[in-house]
Amino acid sequence: MANTACFMIVARNDIPIYEAEVGSAAKREDAAQLHQFILHAALDVVQDLAWTTSAMFLKSVDRFNDLVVSVYVTAGHTRLMLLHDSRNEDGIKSFFQEVHELYIKILLNPLYLPGSRITSTHFDTKVRALARKYL
Amino acid sequence: MAPVGPRSGDAIFSSIDRVNAELFTLTYGAIVRQLLTDLEDVDEVNKQLDQMGYNIGIRLIDEFLAKSGVSRCVDFKETAEMIAKVGFKMFLGVTASVSSWDADGTCCSIILEDNPLVDFVELPDTCQGLYYCNVLSGVIRGALEMVSMKTEVTWTRDALRGDDAYELQVKLLKQVAEEYPYKDDE
Amino acid sequence: MIGVGKMKQYSNVLDKPLSKGKQEVSLSAFAFLFSELVQYNQTQVDNIAELERRLEDAGYAVGSRVLELLCNREKGNRRETRLLGILSFVHSTVWKVLFGKVADSLEKGTEHEDEYMISEKELLVNRFISIPKDMGTFNCGAFVAGIVKGVLDNAGFPAVVTAHFVPIEGQQRPRTTILIKFADEVSISTSLYMTYLYLGKLNLSPVLPTSIHAQVLKREARLSQ
Repeated sequence: MANTACFMIVARNDIPIYEAEVGSAAKREDAAQLHQFILHAALDVVQDLAWTTSAMFLKSVDRFNDLVVSVYVTAGHTRLMLLHDSRNEDGIKSFFQEVHELYIKILLNPLYLPGSRITSTHFDTKVRALARKYL
Repeated sequence: MAPVGPRSGDAIFSSIDRVNAELFTLTYGAIVRQLLTDLEDVDEVNKQLDQMGYNIGIRLIDEFLAKSGVSRCVDFKETAEMIAKVGFKMFLGVTASVSSWDADGTCCSIILEDNPLVDFVELPDTCQGLYYCNVLSGVIRGALEMVSMKTEVTWTRDALRGDDAYELQVKLLKQVAEEYPYKDDE
Repeated sequence: MIGVGKMKQYSNVLDKPLSKGKQEVSLSAFAFLFSELVQYNQTQVDNIAELERRLEDAGYAVGSRVLELLCNREKGNRRETRLLGILSFVHSTVWKVLFGKVADSLEKGTEHEDEYMISEKELLVNRFISIPKDMGTFNCGAFVAGIVKGVLDNAGFPAVVTAHFVPIEGQQRPRTTILIKFADEVSISTSLYMTYLYLGKLNLSPVLPTSIHAQVLKREARLSQ
């Protein structure tokens, strides 16, 4: 299980719609903010990279000390971003794929406004469970 | 042409033109979303959905009678069965069941376990009073009115609000016997 | 604001698997529903342009969802990065799933570089509706134009999409053409991207094109909001 893992979903308009600290290490408020800042700063690189491949999983796109930024870009350019210290690439890919499916289900709800925050606690529970399983 | 006996819901459904349910579900979702944005008040939205359903019901009945080959329904019990077994099947591709008849035979429940209108819908906090599928109550009410049955249709169970199924209570208020326009001449 | 509240956890929609897309309803059920959509919107507007705009907005909501759903289910999770790729996706995959057949034709406009047309002899939403003479050029296909726009915008190819009737000699009913006019950024970034690739292949430093490319994409993203 990854020690540190910060997961963020960023909508097409670059606004984060979901975040969660999913690593096994103790959570610190300032660490969480730093993690989110790092992920947000990586958005430009992600954007460029996304146009060079039709794969959704972009593997690692950036580094920060011993932390790696891995990204998964959906068809609608919603970015699933993970800042982590794990080396388990297959696990990360599976995590992204399953969260992607959850995201599609949220999106299919006509009462969910695309680009708005995901507030479903059920979604949060499932994402954390997936993180425990794959990361 | 001599009337053929009533056809089963399945038989009719396989013989008519069909479309992908997702187009239907997503379009209905867009309608509800539009109404919520325009009207803001969920009670108003419920009313509007019911009205839309009513407008559909009064036109849909023609197609129902034509395709199902149903001749005059003698009583409300038979009518309810037709709606559940044939009506829902031929339009929405799902079957419903009828239960909870009262002693007079004027009030029953139609239960839908599968409902193509509600795929992946979850009601947010701000929409708790919304009857998302209210169009269905209007459709039944409108269709029955065209065959001279005045009814009151209300939701008793709504899976989006935490129940385990979709249940509509249909209560016959008034039936005008001789006005049936499709009566077969014997 | 309605729609952005906390979701209550009644039925576990997230546990339900995504459908395979095989379920169907009767065409008439859709036709009745669509007709109510149009009639309701007629009561909310003062003119034809507004009516088309509202239908387009309704379609947009469908398109943005259809893009994610179908890329995941039908395209093995491949994201389209090329103009022709996304057009082909719309013309074939989207059309086939929503309307039961691929679109009749996909053509490039002859007058402008960035125009494409998808045509249909009898667009599903126009099959049951006859437009009264006093409604002029109104086309219910605006709903479908909205679907297409929703797909293209969200895939990163912003465009203006409109529906038009095109009379065909010898045919009583006109065919419907969905006209797609891509935003300037799309054509520029497509050709800049090609330049970038080309320079990359020649091992020249791609610094300059990349930074312009990035700027263009940022501008495109901002404009398409």
